[in-house]
Amino acid sequence: MTRFAMRLLPVLLALGLSACGSRPPEAASTTANAVPAPDLAGMWSDPPRTALDQFCFMACTETGLKHLAALLDDPANDAKPYGDLSRDALQHQTDDYMRPHMTEAGLATWPLDPFADRGYLYCEPWGVVRQAFAPHQLEIKQYADHVDLHYGEWDAHRTVHLDGRSAPSDQAHTPLGYSIGHYEGDTLVVETTRVTEGDGTLQVWDGRHSDQVTLIERYRRPTPERLELTATLTDPWALREPIELKKVWRFAPDQEIGPYDSCEPAAAQASEGKAK
Amino acid sequence: MKPKHLVSFVGAVIAAAALAAPAAAHHSFAAVFDGSKTVTLDGTVKEFRFVNPHALATIDVADDKGVVQQWTVEFDGRLNLTNFGWTDATIRPGERVKISGNPERTGAPRIFFSKIVRADGTELVRGGDRLNAIEEDRRLRAAQRAAASPAK
Repeated sequence: MTRFAMRLLPVLLALGLSACGSRPPEAASTTANAVPAPDLAGMWSDPPRTALDQFCFMACTETGLKHLAALLDDPANDAKPYGDLSRDALQHQTDDYMRPHMTEAGLATWPLDPFADRGYLYCEPWGVVRQAFAPHQLEIKQYADHVDLHYGEWDAHRTVHLDGRSAPSDQAHTPLGYSIGHYEGDTLVVETTRVTEGDGTLQVWDGRHSDQVTLIERYRRPTPERLELTATLTDPWALREPIELKKVWRFAPDQEIGPYDSCEPAAAQASEGKAK
Repeated sequence: MKPKHLVSFVGAVIAAAALAAPAAAHHSFAAVFDGSKTVTLDGTVKEFRFVNPHALATIDVADDKGVVQQWTVEFDGRLNLTNFGWTDATIRPGERVKISGNPERTGAPRIFFSKIVRADGTELVRGGDRLNAIEEDRRLRAAQRAAASPAK
């Protein structure tokens, strides 16, 4: 074998292996500095079917999870319905973690008026604080310079820029904000700013946030079948100090996200009702 | 109008309540439906739309005098129903069914689905397999706890 052929061989092998990979051709398996990126790509959906993971269907806190684990480990609760235990843990999480972290301004909006829910009234999609913890599908596509996050709820798309940029100083605030990210070992770290004011997460943060809210999400895949999110949320208007929320998904390669095609705004229905 | 086949308002919803809220996630479940009540309709399926964010069915329900009122049944989204093995043919127009669910707070003829009983007696229960898996996980957890405890 000539010296040229020996030099060419590894390149050809690398190209061949790359062509056999499961990722789309444009997807990246490494970051710009050639550190392997963790493979988070694929379709994820509702949590693994365990009592603790179910508690994080929307979002959860370490406080709530510990309380639920204690309830589950108490033999006196073995015959109680799961729903009773999870409601107990949810109340504990609210009383011992969420409410103490809220400012007076944030607490003044707690709980949200369900009849003022703009998703319900006007089919208005969620902002990033609620969307990041949306139940059901999350499809992740990883590329060299960005990551796509595609949600079943609202068929929403987020782009996470990985090219080292900062949020433009003149970037307008939007419901989903502006996201930049990077990899830290096995973790994708996403920082989102420039968010318009909006509602907190379903079930856990039952109040409003301001346009000063920031969200730092950390995604990791501890096993091939499991995706975990730990997020730190900061908002000087609504929160006394940052809060940490968690969520978990199960790998669901057989699922796909369809069009969001039948949302019926309740406000319009109410108008029709009055007109009749 | 009081529907003849509006069988009952049953009290608190079973353990499935813990699973109910996520279903209507494109809006606040509590904004629309009363999770503390269950309504059972006995009627004929007029239409089933297998769509997102929620599948929808219309059911014709007759009252004591035979006057028909149309009810809307809201389900999980198409993709989540697919997880349960549902297709667009799972519920067929013309089929006689008993459907239970949480009623809309406004009193409008609309419920959020929890269970269907077909004419042949077979049932489709929302989230049934997930609930079963969670209970199995609890049994496993209890067994591990018992095994780890020193014998008295």
